[in-house]
Amino acid sequence: MNRTMTEKRSKRFKVLEERPVNKDGFVKEWPDQGFVAMSSPHDPEPSIIIENGMITEMDGKERKDFDMLDQFIADYTIDVSAAGEVMKMESVEIARKLVDIHVSRSEMISVVKGMTPAKVVEVLNQLNVVEMMMALQKMRARKTPANQCHVTNVRDNPILMAADAAEAGILGFDEQETTVGIVRYAPFNALALLVGSQTARGGILTQDALEEATELRLAMLGLTTYAETISIYGTESVFMDGDDTPWSKSFLASAYASRGAKMRFTSGTGSEVQMAGAEGKSMLYLEVRCVMMAKGAGVQGLQNGSISCIGIPAAVPSGLRAVLAENLATTMFDLEVASGNDQTFSHSEIRRSAKMLCQMLPGTDFIFSGFSAVPNSDDMFAGSNMDSSDIDDYLVIQRDMMVDGGLKPVEETEVINVRYQAAKSMQAIFEELGFPRISDEEVEAATYANSSADMPKRNVVEDLKAAERILTEEITGFQVALILAKKGYQQTAERIFDMLKHKVAGDYLHTSAIINAQNVVMSAVNDENDYKGPGTGYRLGGERWEEIKNIRQAISPNDY
Amino acid sequence: MIGTFEILMNLEDGETAQKGINANEVVIAISPAFGKELNKTIVKVDHGKVLREIVSGIEEQGALPRIIRSYHTADLAFMGHQAAKLSGSGIGIGLQSRGTTVIHQKDLDPLSNLELFPQSPSITLETYRAIGKNGALYALGESVDPVPSVNDQMARPRYQAIAALLHLREAEQVIKNKKPVEVQWNFTIKEEEN
Repeated sequence: MNRTMTEKRSKRFKVLEERPVNKDGFVKEWPDQGFVAMSSPHDPEPSIIIENGMITEMDGKERKDFDMLDQFIADYTIDVSAAGEVMKMESVEIARKLVDIHVSRSEMISVVKGMTPAKVVEVLNQLNVVEMMMALQKMRARKTPANQCHVTNVRDNPILMAADAAEAGILGFDEQETTVGIVRYAPFNALALLVGSQTARGGILTQDALEEATELRLAMLGLTTYAETISIYGTESVFMDGDDTPWSKSFLASAYASRGAKMRFTSGTGSEVQMAGAEGKSMLYLEVRCVMMAKGAGVQGLQNGSISCIGIPAAVPSGLRAVLAENLATTMFDLEVASGNDQTFSHSEIRRSAKMLCQMLPGTDFIFSGFSAVPNSDDMFAGSNMDSSDIDDYLVIQRDMMVDGGLKPVEETEVINVRYQAAKSMQAIFEELGFPRISDEEVEAATYANSSADMPKRNVVEDLKAAERILTEEITGFQVALILAKKGYQQTAERIFDMLKHKVAGDYLHTSAIINAQNVVMSAVNDENDYKGPGTGYRLGGERWEEIKNIRQAISPNDY
Repeated sequence: MIGTFEILMNLEDGETAQKGINANEVVIAISPAFGKELNKTIVKVDHGKVLREIVSGIEEQGALPRIIRSYHTADLAFMGHQAAKLSGSGIGIGLQSRGTTVIHQKDLDPLSNLELFPQSPSITLETYRAIGKNGALYALGESVDPVPSVNDQMARPRYQAIAALLHLREAEQVIKNKKPVEVQWNFTIKEEEN
């Protein structure tokens, strides 16, 4: 031990020690347990052998040795008609095509479909983060970027939740996600999000992240419109730990889609390490297997970017680069990407902003999945990378960089008004259904609240009984719309009814779909990303730029 | 000066765990390494103190605690559900070495739960007591106020990588085909002069 270091300390080092970044957890690479970001000595080398139209060897493994993910990917994801040629291409050449503005997105997709997991990893390892962002800008499926938020609170207070959903709606979030503190509150949360979001504007998609069977039931009742917490994993052992297989997840995916609910899978780097099943493979290699499994299952999209395991890649070298790489990999397979940024991973404001810019600057289908529209202390996904107190910073960054991050500045009076409308609507619904009364005092509190600490307490036991009635009596979105119409909330009622019609029409099941304020579905079908360098692709301008420019803090010459 | 005390925990694996017949029992499933290869939670609280609080919480409501050790899985949801299925009341509690806890009921889906305490660094000994108490109240068929969830959104940046290291250690003790076993337990209090 160096005595000088222990006894007499550098004053500068003491200052550094107090910095927020030094509260973060960092670990050294441990490749044998898969504690390594983008490349492990145990990752396979790319290879393919095709005989009679069937892949008989992939990434150094013979078919008889395939695990269930290998088999699924070999049989359902890889296009054997393309693979022979593509696998002969140098990885650095494919990486250059990804960055090359003269190679179109569709041309790139036809190359990628012939690649094995190890080949994808080798290609991604050729790219630095700026090149990955250039590739992501080209490869994301929908031309117009968008954003998703979390709306939750620690007490599962339904009035506050509806008000928060309404505020998030006028801020511009196209998708809203909630979950529960207590599972049995789930039907209330779905209801609050539906009512709150549609009070703000029609077309906002909502979900209630729960155990999968309950989530599906709520979607079938018309109380939610999408789902994304259908988790998949990169090794067989971790998959089996969740009592699942790629086939069972595919079945579940079709259960959602066949009932008119948009759905995407969720995966992310670090989950296999966290569950002690990484088999010595790098986090990125395992995540690429997830991306390719999702593609083979036929789902339209994937939420990734480490998600709830972000503390793991963030703790190792090149970890946040791996997280960007997995987002990019998702778009390369022509899947919608909801690109994370949805969990706390750092105490450092510098570090969390730097990470977020990797997705915000190139733009993704959902830059956050999601941004906490409530204070992080109320975020029941254990906190997001940014929360409601960061909204102004985010709006200013959009304006500084002339980048569309999916949000827009709002006036305080507008917020107060829409929160009040949402809370009043919940009061009317509860009254009509005979649920525990919502008092005027609660409506008032929700209208002006910042967090659940500002809300009067409710009788949890009585609320839970009422919440369970939604499932046992099968109270539907249609009934909610009827009640709102009867009670004088015609506009919200019609918007909820429109969401039910979307479920029947199914257009929003296409890749990367959102529904805009005019009730028009925008997806990779009618809003396909056509980026081919300067002057092409999504260009911020016109009304949307005016919206972003006009932050309330900006002083006008006429103010004096 | 006030003396401090230490809880000495003795856990002995017994026979394969059977389905209980006492309608007042709450089964606690501990993970493969709990109190053995690992003996502290992620915030370095002794396993003895944690388990004793849960057991005491169950006992003081007049329910009967029974402890089993899971070997085939260290997954919290499945441990908790297994405990519930073997419990005479249908109520079980799952407890991992790092401190993560769940209250489960036999008729729920494995990945559902009655109450989940996912953030091990923020669970205090008082919370473990309350978890035991609520487990007992569910078993006795009473109306239960869920234990307030503590939400420390900065636990992940600080602890997630360490939690993964702990889980890797725990997973080394998983024995795939071994059924859960009954655990004989006792706690002794050793006072120490300070």
